[in-house]
Amino acid sequence: MDIISQLQEQVNTIAFTMLNTFGTLQRDAPAVRLSPNYPEPAANASEETVNTAEQAKIMSAALVQAAKKFDALVAALPLSGGEEAQLKRLQELEAENEAAGQELQKQLEASEQELKLVQELFNQAADNCLNLKKPVLRVCNEDYHTK
Amino acid sequence: MASASYPPPPPFYRLYKDYAADPESAPDPPPPVEGSYPLFGANYTTDVVLPSLEDQGVRQLYPKGPNIDFKKELRSLNRELQLHILELADVLVERPSQYARRVEEISLIFKNLHHLLNSLRPHQARATLIHILESQIERRKQAVEDIKRRREEAQRLLKESLQTLDGQP
Repeated sequence: MDIISQLQEQVNTIAFTMLNTFGTLQRDAPAVRLSPNYPEPAANASEETVNTAEQAKIMSAALVQAAKKFDALVAALPLSGGEEAQLKRLQELEAENEAAGQELQKQLEASEQELKLVQELFNQAADNCLNLKKPVLRVCNEDYHTK
Repeated sequence: MASASYPPPPPFYRLYKDYAADPESAPDPPPPVEGSYPLFGANYTTDVVLPSLEDQGVRQLYPKGPNIDFKKELRSLNRELQLHILELADVLVERPSQYARRVEEISLIFKNLHHLLNSLRPHQARATLIHILESQIERRKQAVEDIKRRREEAQRLLKESLQTLDGQP
């Protein structure tokens, strides 16, 4: 995947991780005492409360890791020149491409000419061969006819 | 139970009554739409330019200007995002009823991030074009070299064969 799509995916991952973090913590957090008028809630050290602390650590580590990966991807951006530099390079390349195309066209035409010449020579040589071997051929034809 | 029927189709079909006999009697199809057009109450546009953030009613957090240092802006937006996430966590602990503003700011940062990334796409397109042109030039030069070599080979063979033929009595 190209780097910009990777960056976009990473942004979405950060958002998703943040969503997960807050959602989980909010859902699994134990009750807390709001005011001295109300009694203390049953703060039993069950496995859920322990898990919440662990979850908070794991998920915040994941969030920081996602952010670090985003920074690494940003550093890997091949952002060479500005728009003008790119346009200038495009013009240079276009001119070079045109020249190379002309050269190729010239070579193609010359080689086609030579091909025609060689084919003509070949035809003449074949004709000469046929003319030299005419009597031999007639004998062969008669053989086929008798079979 | 009242059954509502669909509205009737537009009455343009009557104009095409004699189409089989005379194709010219029917009206031409309408030309394609250009510019902006309304569709089901929303405005769309046929321009391929990326609409700026102000057009979408979103505040722009990174500085405007002709040349934006994308890497720096992306990194600073990332740091802002992390800060705001921490702020949200704090607010949820201390004053839970004030979460809305923090959530709004976080979504604003995300929109800015995505807009920055989208504005990198034209640059990527030009870079791809440059790459394609370079490889095409390379291929053409390679073809020219190949043809030159083969032509020289063919001419050498021709000369040799001529010499061989001349050598015969």
